Order: sequence, then C-alpha cells, then structure tokens
Amino acid sequence: MTLSLVLQAIFAGVTNGIVYAFVGMGLSAIFKGSRVINAMQGEFAVIGAMTTVLLLTKSGWPYPAAIAGGVLAGALVGAFIEVAFVRYMAKKNASEDSFLLLTIGLALTLSASILFFIGRDGHLLPPIGGEGVLLVLDAVIQFHALWLIAIGIGATLLLRAFCHRTTVGLSMMAASIDADGAATTGINVGRMRTYTFILGGLLGALGGILVTPLISVDYTLGLNLTLKGFAAAVLGGLTNPLGAAVGGITLGLVESLAIIGISSSYKDVVAFSVLIIIMILMPNGILGRAGRRGG
Amino acid sequence: MSLSSIARLTGAAALVGLSAMAAQAQTSGEPIKIGAIVSATGAGAGLGIPERNGLLLAEKDINAKGGVKGRPIKIIIEDDASNPDTALSKANDLIFGQKVVALLGPSLTASTVAVGGVTHPNKIPQIAFTGIGPAVERERKCVAHVLPPQRLNAQALLEYAKSIKATKVGVLHDAGYGNVVMAELRPLADKYGVKLVAVEKFEIGATDTTTQAAKVKAAQPEAVFIIATSATPFRNVKQIQIAQPVIAAIGSSSYEYVNAMGPAADNIAIPEFVVGEDPLPHQKAFVDLYKQTYNSTPKNYEAAAWDAAHIIATALTKAGADATGEKLCEAMKAPYTGVLANYNFSADDMTGIPISSFVFSKIVGGKYTRTPFRVAQ
Repeated sequence: MTLSLVLQAIFAGVTNGIVYAFVGMGLSAIFKGSRVINAMQGEFAVIGAMTTVLLLTKSGWPYPAAIAGGVLAGALVGAFIEVAFVRYMAKKNASEDSFLLLTIGLALTLSASILFFIGRDGHLLPPIGGEGVLLVLDAVIQFHALWLIAIGIGATLLLRAFCHRTTVGLSMMAASIDADGAATTGINVGRMRTYTFILGGLLGALGGILVTPLISVDYTLGLNLTLKGFAAAVLGGLTNPLGAAVGGITLGLVESLAIIGISSSYKDVVAFSVLIIIMILMPNGILGRAGRRGG
Repeated sequence: MSLSSIARLTGAAALVGLSAMAAQAQTSGEPIKIGAIVSATGAGAGLGIPERNGLLLAEKDINAKGGVKGRPIKIIIEDDASNPDTALSKANDLIFGQKVVALLGPSLTASTVAVGGVTHPNKIPQIAFTGIGPAVERERKCVAHVLPPQRLNAQALLEYAKSIKATKVGVLHDAGYGNVVMAELRPLADKYGVKLVAVEKFEIGATDTTTQAAKVKAAQPEAVFIIATSATPFRNVKQIQIAQPVIAAIGSSSYEYVNAMGPAADNIAIPEFVVGEDPLPHQKAFVDLYKQTYNSTPKNYEAAAWDAAHIIATALTKAGADATGEKLCEAMKAPYTGVLANYNFSADDMTGIPISSFVFSKIVGGKYTRTPFRVAQ
C-alpha cells in the first residue's frame, strides 16, 4: 500500500462522503422537522440534476441559472409534497409507517415518471472549474471534486447558521422539538413543516447537481443515493443535520479505506461492520446527543 | 341492426380484409403464432427494448418475404419486467393459452432458466437472448442461445489483450455480470500467458469506483479490462488518469452507456458483433433496414433478436408449420449464418458461436468504429 494510494482513497472517500452528506442532511432536516423518514430524498437529487440538465441542454440557459433552476425545482417539489400529501395525512394523525409508505411510493412514482418522460439515458453536467485535475503525490482529484467539497462544507455551515441564528430557523427547530409548545408561542407549525420539506428538497437537489459531473444521472440513481444518505444520517444521528454531514464523510472514508486496506470484495462487509460497531458504541449516532439539544 | 347496415358492415369488413392482404402481398392463411418474452421494463430494459425492436423488424421482414411457405407469422411479445416469476407465468400463458409453436427470449439469464423449465419438458423450441447459463441449461437441448457463453466473452477480451501484446492486465468488474465473466477469465488468462495483476470488484449500481481504479493503476498493468453494465468505472478510470488501453466486455456496449461515459468513452476497445456505423457485408442489409425503420443505429441485441426470429422461421419452413416441437427442434439444429454471428445449435453450448464471429470496435468521439482486428478460427 503506497502513500499515493492512501491519498487517492481519502480523496475518493471525502468526495463520496460529501455526496452522502448532502442526501443525509436533507433526510435528517426533514425527519427533524416532521418525523417523516423521507425515502425519496435521493429522488430530490435526481430531480435537481435532471432539471439542470434539461435547462442547460434543451432550453440553453447559462450554467449558473440552470443550477439555480435545478435547486429551485427540488425545493418546489419538496413544498408540493408537504402541501399535497404530508399536511393532509398529518391532519388525519397518520402514523410514521404511513409516511414512510407515502415516500416510498413517491420515490417509485418519480423514478418511473423520469423514465417515461425523459428516458433511460444517463446525463452528465459540465464540471465546475473545468476538466482539470489536481495532482498530489500521484493521487488525482478533479477540480470539480474540490468545488464539491468546498460547497458541501459551506452548505453545512450555512445550514447550521440558519438553524441557530435566523428567526425562521429557530422557529423550525422549536416546532420540531415541541410542536404544541411552539404553537402556543405563535409559531405556525404547519408552515414550519413546509419549510423543512423545502430545505430537504433544496439540499437534495444541490447534492444531485454537484454529483452529476462525476457520475451520470439517470432514473435509477435516486434509490442508491437514498440508501447511502440514510446510512449517513443514522450514523451521524438522525435528528441532527450536522451529524449527517459527519456521518456521510465517515461512511465515505471507511468505504474507500476498506478497499485499499482489505479488498474490494469485502468493502461492504468491512464498511458496514464498522458502522455497526459505531452504532453499538453510540446508539444515538455520532452527533445524536447534540441533536437533542437542537443541533 | 337492419339488413342493409349488416350488408354495409360486411362490405367494409371485406374491404379491410382486402387491404390487409394487399399490404402483406404474398402471405395468406392463419398466422403462425410465435411467443416472445423480453424485459421491456425493469433492470433488463436496456436489453429488452432493443430486442423488441429487432423482433418487430424481423416479423415484418419475414412476412414481406412470404412468411413461412406463404403463411404469415405473428410474434406475440410479452414483457417480463426483468422478473423470472413474471417470465414464467407469461411463458405458461403463451404456450398453453396462446398455443405458440416456439418461444423467443427472455432477455435475462435468470428468466431464461425459469422459462426453460416449461419449454424443455413440453418440447417447445426456445431461442433465448442470453448466453448459456447454469449447468442445468446444458441438458435442455431445445433451448438455443443467440448470445455467446461468458467463456467466449472472456476469451475475446484476452484475444484483444494478446493482439496489443499486453501480458499484465488489471480488471475492474461488477458483482453481477462481471463476476460471471471473471470466473471464466481467471482459468483462461493462464492459457493466454496473461497475468491478472489486480482484480477489483464493485457492487452493481456503484456510484463511485475511484478507489478500486486507483488500486488497479497502482498494480501498473499494461491494459485494463472493465466488465460491467454501467458507465461509472469507465469514467473513474479516466478521472484518475489511467493511460493504458481500456478493453470493455460486451455488456457495456450500448449507446446508452457510451453517452453516459461522456469523453471517457474515447479509445475504449470492445469485442462485440455489430458495429452499425460500419457493418460487415452480411450485416449491411439488416443495419440499413433497421436505420430506415427506427431512425437509429442497431447494436448487438437488436441483431440477436432479429436472428432468433429468422432462425425459427427457417426451421418452420424446413419442418412445416404443423410440425411437432421435437421436429422443429431437429430442424433448428443446423449451422445458421446470422447477422450477429455464425451459429450451430447442435454444439454443446447450444449456440456454437465461434470466436471468429467477434468484431472489435473502438469508440472515437462517442461513435463506434470497427477495427481491422479479427480472430482467425
């Protein structure tokens, strides 16, 4: 095992970890705000990426505008799902399982609609920062991956600041910790829940757009992302979006180091064994305790 | 309904009948029903959709050329949704409900094995769009295959490596299709004097294989085999700047994957059968007709399905439309020069494709180009 191989594994691990983190953060933001386990979080990524691809190639929008359009599409779909389905079901006191079933159904429906309307083809977006790569000790990282990592860290910090410093963020936190208590202080709990879905859709879409220059997006990508994002979120502590970021990077690194340390055939065995051990030692996830205090 | 309106209807029906006959020119009589099962939806849709196109085109072609001794054929196509259980129930319906004389497909190995469990005991000839799979298939002497066994695919990869004088080869393969080819590749590599310096696996649907690719790169191979059904490993290999020649197994040879590879597709070599951009002389008629009909370029699976339909039509012509399944089977067991390959269904592997049927293509600017390299028999 050479140093450059270890470095390559770390580059790949962090890059993947940030992608898992984007999906995980969205998942945990929605779970925190609404107690809904969103099995269609990966679909937000596909919606964001596909919208950007279509705006860029079919409508000829400039790249930044197309990205903004993609993120907006994710946020709008998030809002739509809350207003059209979740709100109605919450009024009827639907159980957590019903919500899970709803989001699984939505995931399958969205994936099938993308297949039907857009087709089977995989699509790519141009990399941010060009096709160039950075060479460190023979290990390669693409400029785009560096942008992905930087934007990922930026988004995590912004999310944290949003939850702790803004009135809306604080209200969302309050509504998620104690809905009745929040309602008595005049917080519109229903609206806060809509906001969490918008936030979840926005994060998912942004993650999807940022990953599309690295892997091609097609209608099947959503489920894969959801599973990894879910693992990241649980690992970090499902109630703390910041935890999902930590969980995502941990998962990415463990996976890629397992490949060079042991064997690619046992990658998942090693990675998930490590995850199980972490969950036994820290049942609430790496940052689960912080999540209880509000993140 | 009044008498006059009945008369009018009969007249209209006769007219419709006449025009239908005019369109089909030489064929008449009850159509001969042939069943087909493809994976038009689900994970295997990348195979099933091209196969369905190939079947529809073959049906049109066979009927336009007079069908089977003047009788038209009708291919009843069903979708198994990439699910062996569904394939089995569709096969039962086609055989016992629709009374088809033969069955074409399915697209996936698991479904082929399942359907063979019905066609074999009931002596219904079957031509599968797969290579021969598990051992049980060797006993099914009336289940022919129009795609090569994985051993032959492995051999074709090694032949190409030999041609570019690569003796140290790294392999990136997925845990499904890749595993099966890999199992055949390992013992063959020795015979070709090829050393597998790194063999790295990744799960089906993996979104990143950079680390595996880095391990292959670190082993300093002279060429890299990628055996997968996704574009991801190809992109990763280029991303970490592996400059050695990349040779892909036939599973990733489709426009869909090549598009998803983007610029990373350039210079990849693929042992396969049909290069629509530059077909072999005997493939040209099929490729032209396909392009004319679908306005796109056919590849291997379209040709495999086309061949399967023509093989069964040929056997029907030879044995007669009312022949028993056994007779039809016997008629099928003769050498057949298809668009995809030269078959001989009396061979042990129920396909008889020789390695000389392979052509080797290279991707240049997102398009396939045929290389002059062929393997002599």
